[in-house]
Formats: sequence, C-alpha cells, structure tokens
Amino acid sequence: MACNSSTCQSNSGCYKREEEPISSKSSDSNQQSLCVKCKFNEPVSGTSDDGRFCRECFRSNLYGKFKLAVTSNAMITPSDNLLVAFSGGSSSRVVLQFVHEMQQRAQKNFDASKDRSLPVFGVGVTFIDESAYHSVPSSEIDKAIEDIKSIVSNLAPPAKQLHVVPIESVFSLDSLYGKERLKTLEDSVSDATGKEDLLLHLRMLALQKVASENGYNRLVLGLCTSRIACHVITATVKGQGYSLPADIQYVDARWEIPVVLPLRDCLAPELNILCHLDGLKTVEFSNGPCSGINGLVSSFVKLLQEENPSRECTIVRTAGKLTPFHFNRIPELNDSNVPLATRRRQKRFNLKPSESISSESFCPLCFSPLSKSDLLSLSSCQNYDILDAACCSSCRFQIFPKDPSSMEHFLSVLPQPLLARAKNCSNGNHSSLRKQIQDCLLSESEDET
Amino acid sequence: MEEAVTKPTKKGGGRLCCICNQRRAALKRPKTLEQICRECFYEVFEEEIHQVIVDNQLFKPGERIAIGASGGKDSTVLACVLAELNRRHNYGLDLFLLSVDEGITGYRDDSLETVKRNEVQYGLPLKIVSYKDLYGWTMDEIVKMIGLKNNCTFCGVFRRQALDRGASLLKVDKVATGHNADDIAETVLLNILRGDIARLSRCTSIVTGEDGPIPRCKPFKYTYEKEIMFTYAYFKRLDYFSTECIYSPNAYRGFAREFIKDLERIRPRAILDIIKSGEDFRISTSTKMPEQGTCERCGYISSQKWCKACVLLEGLNRGLPKMGIGRSSRGLNNDPKKDKDIKQSNGTKSIENKQCGSLDF
Amino acid sequence: MQLTLEFGGGLELLCESVKIHKVNVDPPNGTEKFIMKDLLSWVRTNLIKERPEMFMKEDSVRPGVLVLVNDCDWELSGQLDTTLEDKDVVVFISTLHGG
Repeated sequence: MACNSSTCQSNSGCYKREEEPISSKSSDSNQQSLCVKCKFNEPVSGTSDDGRFCRECFRSNLYGKFKLAVTSNAMITPSDNLLVAFSGGSSSRVVLQFVHEMQQRAQKNFDASKDRSLPVFGVGVTFIDESAYHSVPSSEIDKAIEDIKSIVSNLAPPAKQLHVVPIESVFSLDSLYGKERLKTLEDSVSDATGKEDLLLHLRMLALQKVASENGYNRLVLGLCTSRIACHVITATVKGQGYSLPADIQYVDARWEIPVVLPLRDCLAPELNILCHLDGLKTVEFSNGPCSGINGLVSSFVKLLQEENPSRECTIVRTAGKLTPFHFNRIPELNDSNVPLATRRRQKRFNLKPSESISSESFCPLCFSPLSKSDLLSLSSCQNYDILDAACCSSCRFQIFPKDPSSMEHFLSVLPQPLLARAKNCSNGNHSSLRKQIQDCLLSESEDET
Repeated sequence: MEEAVTKPTKKGGGRLCCICNQRRAALKRPKTLEQICRECFYEVFEEEIHQVIVDNQLFKPGERIAIGASGGKDSTVLACVLAELNRRHNYGLDLFLLSVDEGITGYRDDSLETVKRNEVQYGLPLKIVSYKDLYGWTMDEIVKMIGLKNNCTFCGVFRRQALDRGASLLKVDKVATGHNADDIAETVLLNILRGDIARLSRCTSIVTGEDGPIPRCKPFKYTYEKEIMFTYAYFKRLDYFSTECIYSPNAYRGFAREFIKDLERIRPRAILDIIKSGEDFRISTSTKMPEQGTCERCGYISSQKWCKACVLLEGLNRGLPKMGIGRSSRGLNNDPKKDKDIKQSNGTKSIENKQCGSLDF
Repeated sequence: MQLTLEFGGGLELLCESVKIHKVNVDPPNGTEKFIMKDLLSWVRTNLIKERPEMFMKEDSVRPGVLVLVNDCDWELSGQLDTTLEDKDVVVFISTLHGG
C-alpha cells in the first residue's frame, strides 16, 4: 500500500492504477467472456463483484435475494396489504418493481387456480414529500411527483394506490401551519446530525401514519446493504450499540405497522445497475449531501468499500451477529384463515424467542429500545422533565435543547404522536418504568457483591 | 455540539479556567468541553484515572504490577501517573517497568533510552526482555531472512509472548498497558469492519486475559489521547519517542484512525460513544472461544499443539519462514490490537495496520 | 516578526528531522495581522519537505495534530483565526503516530 490517503495527489503508486491493466487483461481472455452462471450469454460489465453475470442471470440473482428474504422471514402472506415507501431512489425503485412482480405472479396463480383459495396481497405506494424540510423549490417537487405518479400508474395491473403525503402531515394540522411548526422544530435543534436524524424519525412517523390510516399491515422499505452498513457505523459512533440490532434486521415489528427490509442483502451498485439495465426510472432530488456525523460516516464507508468491495457486507454480517430483539420478527399468526403451509414456514425460519432480547421501554423520540444504562441514568434525573429523562442518550445529546429553559418550547412543537409516546412513558407506564429502574439498580448491586 | 463556534479571542487570554476561575485557561477538554488551566487540568486528569482504577477495582493492595513501557507517550504518562497515584492514594502496589527489545537498530534502541530515563525519574525498576534472548533472533535478523513482508506477523506474535514472559520473570500479578480511549474506539471499529465478532465482544473490557497467564488492564480506557498528549507536552517536556518503525514504513495510520480523528473534530464525545456502543453490544454466547491448552514445546498458553511463536520460530530455524503464516492462526492472539499486524489478504491491509512496535503493548 | 515553531510526535520527520525552527514571517500583502491560517500555508510552503498530507488536511491541520500557541490549546484562541504576535511559540504535535 504505497498510498491510501484521500488527500493523496500522486499518480504513481496508487493501487487503483496498478489494478487497471489486470482487469482489462482478464476481460480479454475467453474464459471470462461468458456469464459465470449460465456460461452461455455474455456478461454485462460491472454487474457484480462476486462474478460476472449476464443480464438475465444478474437480474434473477438479485430477485432471488429479494425473494429469499421475503419467504424466509414470512414478510408477505396472501392476506397482507403492503405499503411500499418510495423515495424515488434506485433502492426503493427496485423494491417497488420486485414487489410488483411478486404480486403479478401471485395474481397469475390466483387466476389459474380453481378454488381461488389464496387471495393476492395488496400493494400501495407512498411518497413522503420532504420539500418543507429541505426547502426544495416547488417546481422541482411538482415535477418529481408527476414522475412518481407515472411510474406507479405504469406498473398496473393490479392497480396500486399512490399516497403522496407531505412530511408536515405528522402534525395533523392544516398544511400551512404544519410547515411552520416543522420549521420551528427544525430550528430548535442545533446539532447538524441531530437535525438529519430528527427528519428520519419524522419520516417514519409519517410512513406509519399513512399505513395505519389506509389499512396497510406491512411497510416495505428499500434499505440495502450499503445503507445498512452506514447505519451500523453511525449508530456505533452515536453510542447506540444497544439498540443497533433492532434497526438492521429483515423485520422490525416494534412499530404499529411492522416494517420489512427485503433488500437487506443487496448492494447499492447492484440496484443502480438493475435500474439502468431495465430502464427503471428514478427520481432525483437536490437535497444536498449529508453533513455532520452521517456524512462523515458515509464517506468513510465509501472509501472502505472502494478499497475492498466486500466491506459493506462484512459490516452488516458482523452487526447481524449482535443479538436482535423480540420484535424483530413477524408476530406469529394463529389465525385459522392463514394456510398451514404459511404458518409452518414462519415457525421454521423465524427467530427463536430465546435468542432475542425483550425490551419494554423505548425512546419516545427515535423509538430505540432503552438499555440498562439508559434506564439507570433515568434514575439519577427523576426531577428533570420526564420526556428528557425517558429518552435515549443519543437523542438527549443531539436533538434535545441543551438549555433546560427552552425545553418547554421544544416539547410544544413536537408532533402529537411523539408526545403521546412520551406521556405514555410518564403516566401509564411510569410505574413499570420505575420498576424496571429498580430492578436494574438491584441487579447492579447484586453484581457488585 | 457540532455547530459550536469558538469566537476568536486573543490567544484565549481573556478566558479563565472554569474550575479555579483564577488562572488562564490553557486547554479545552474533549470529554467535557470545559476550558481549564494547566494546574486544574492535571489534577482532574489524575483524579479521573484514580476513579477509573477504584471503580473497576483494577488493583489490589500488595499487588505487583508491570507497566508495559514502550517509550511512547501513552506508556510514559501511564508510568508517571501510576507512580504518583500509588503514592498519593496508598494503593500499596509494587510497580515495575517492562519493555520489550525487538532488536531493531535505530528504532528500539532510541525508545529504550526513554524508558531508561523513566526508570530513574519515577524510581521504578525496569526489566527489558529481548527477542534475541527469548527467541535467539532479533527483528533485524528476521527481516534480513524474510524480507519486509509478514515481518509484522512475527513481531506481533513475539511481542505478546515476550511481554507475558517478562511479566512472569518479574512475578507480577497484572500488566497495565497504555491503551487510550482513541485506541479502543479504533479497535471497536476495526473489529466491526473485519467481522471479528469474538474480539468485538472482548475489546472494550478494561481487564482482559483473566483466564490467561497474566491479566492485563487499561487504566486509560476512558482517557482521550489529546489529554495524554497535553500532559506529556506540558509536564514532561521530554522528547517522547515517536519515530515510525523502520520496518513498517507508511503503515502508521489507517483509515479507521483518521476517521476517529475526523469524528473527534466534529463531535469529541463520539470516541466515548463508540466505547459505550462496544460495551453495550450484546453478542449471543454461541460464539465459541478456542479451547486453551499449553504449548507442548514452550508451555505458553495455546489452543494448538504448538503456540504461534513456536511455529514461527521453527520456521525461522529451519529456513522456512512462511511456516505458520496464513489464515489458520485465528484465535491465538487474544489481544485485539495485535491482530492488526497479523493479517491479511491483499486489499484489506491499509485499514488494518497501524504503526507496529510502538503502540502495541 | 519572529516565531518559534516546534514540531513533535513525528511531524519533525516531515521537515528534515528538525524539531525547532526559529522563523521570520510577515503578514500577507495588504493585511495587518498574521493569523494561524497564514502560518499554516507558510509552513506548508517553506518547511514541510515531504508528505504534506500528514500535516495538513484542506486548509487546516490534520485532525489528530495538536496545536499549542504559547502553551495554550489553539481551540481556545480561535484555531485558524488565532492572531500571532512577535516572539510567539507555536507547537505542533501529531497524535497519529502511535505511542
């Protein structure tokens, strides 16, 4: 390694230069010019790092990863009604495409079957319009929404309903007032990373709201390996080692509407290539790059990935070995309407309860499960504002106002559901929270003796 | 606070220490962002380390403790602080300095001079164990034979064992090492990046190797490198030894290290947050630890028939230096820091390695 | 004006292994003040003989390099905007080199 600095300006000795001639040589050789899977068609360039596939094989490989994730985690059953979160990027474009294809196949089987016993799952699409947060010009957002409408309507049949929802709808107020409140909330967070993360929490709130109000029972996100790898590192850096495993599993049922991540095993470049190969249209926004911790992490992971193409997979695999939570599985169905085969499959692949952590307290803001140390720190500040006390240390640091006197104002602009969660902590569950803290303290003192 | 803007003032001249409110502030503490003067800083610096020692029961009265001394800033400050705290708080410890001489001309002989000065300054007996005495080979001789590839493997394996051997010669109960918070945060990240779940679960422990021959502890686990550096720069005024190991040119930083420093700049508490994450990770118990036995040849702990050092040594002595180098060696070295030198296949090198030799105790 | 610059922690290797440099610098044309930002670009041009990326990143020092101005953390004096005066002592120490 003669040079590995991002600031390196020398052209000689860089490993990238050294590698170039090798790869061009290998593509010349006869052996390499066929798809590694079917050994028949010509591969498309740059399709994959673990082999060079032809277009068909590349596609079926990627769809295969999606399907395996769906079936082995019982993400979709025939009676489900899925809401696909569509941001316009290539990951969510691919997940929409794959869900659509799966639905088409189910429809075909349904039409062909005599008794028509298996219904076809429903699919809806939602786009959360965040222009109020990012101050995107309205002409740009209008054009994007038009594009999204045409993408979704071109997918039919079966027809999919599209819900375009502004992020400020989380305040359940009229749009103008909501925008104002959103701005006030954003301005009350001083930390750049905290601002970004707050938007993430609000986005999830908005998605949950759309799903819940429109009768969906699953929320499908297009998060891919690359994004999850970044999340692993950012969560580690923010001190969220305890709650991290909750966020990176195939299934996350801590929310009212369970969230599923069927592209967890797909890399961002693969998804980009598929969009390119299949002409799947994506919608870009000029949101600007991440700043703060999130931006630093994504450029760090990008650097690592360039240096070793399997790095992101390794990161996700490592984090995958951390013990997940009890809610990281689709709740078991005892409904007799569900076919036996489906139930059996669920039982076989789902997480065993003994391998997971059960957690009863969540941060009202980011909804992370609270660790023992978070609970313990609660006990030391019981006179402090209850929401502040009951949230995780990361939110306390990067989102909450530093000055206690501005706390009341901050709370007053929070969306209702977040406040409700906090109040739930403080009223209904307060005694149980207190009991948990007591238990922690007790076991702590036992450890010491 | 990432947004915090320091207003330019004239050399901070107008600012007073937030603790004593008398003297001019000289340092912004990364841990607390307090601005404090030199005198107050040194006091809180030492008392925090005392608190870590007490809270984690690192030492018991009457114990013999070796300080792994490389001549670098961390171990020099550690020796100074431990000697002082032992006196001030009556720990009742017998302290020793323990150094390893790898036999690298122009590199180790200089740093050993620093350690010898520490011996006199702090009145701590010094023991130097050399590769030559223990293994019959100096690093200079090893490099002459095997070249500059894999030399860090030899050095890493030999050093770990040398430190244990030295510790048992001194009959100490524990070895204290100078790993600081930045080092530990870096190790947490590296273990995630390379998928080493077993080490990930251990690397934030303040005491390690309790099942091995001699436990090790890290009194600087929560101490920022910046503060160690300040202590050094202010109070020692020594030429602390920091040349690059001549056998690992260009290896003295990896992406991870640079990343940690970038993070510290925008959010100083990130270093402690990474350590907190490392402590909070829950790893299912099914990860198997290799069974510990003893090496049939030298009696050192080993999960194989022969310990790694004996395998490498046998290779050297038989003129087959490639012996024992490869992937089969996992699980032998329990110290997470060590493994950085011991790997690895082509592309991964640059994030793994850091300067060998000086930081590795 | 005259400044004393000290390089430590391995940074001296970038300037021919000389640790202490007594240098004369002048404010850039058209300005009165000489600030740390000016000093850094001066050092980069005049003292650093190899691997400048070990010393600087963008227009500041690399993260991990400590800077003391008259024994005081430069984070307290405004970092790049710190105004330097005659006879000031500026110390650069790298923490990136192990230890």
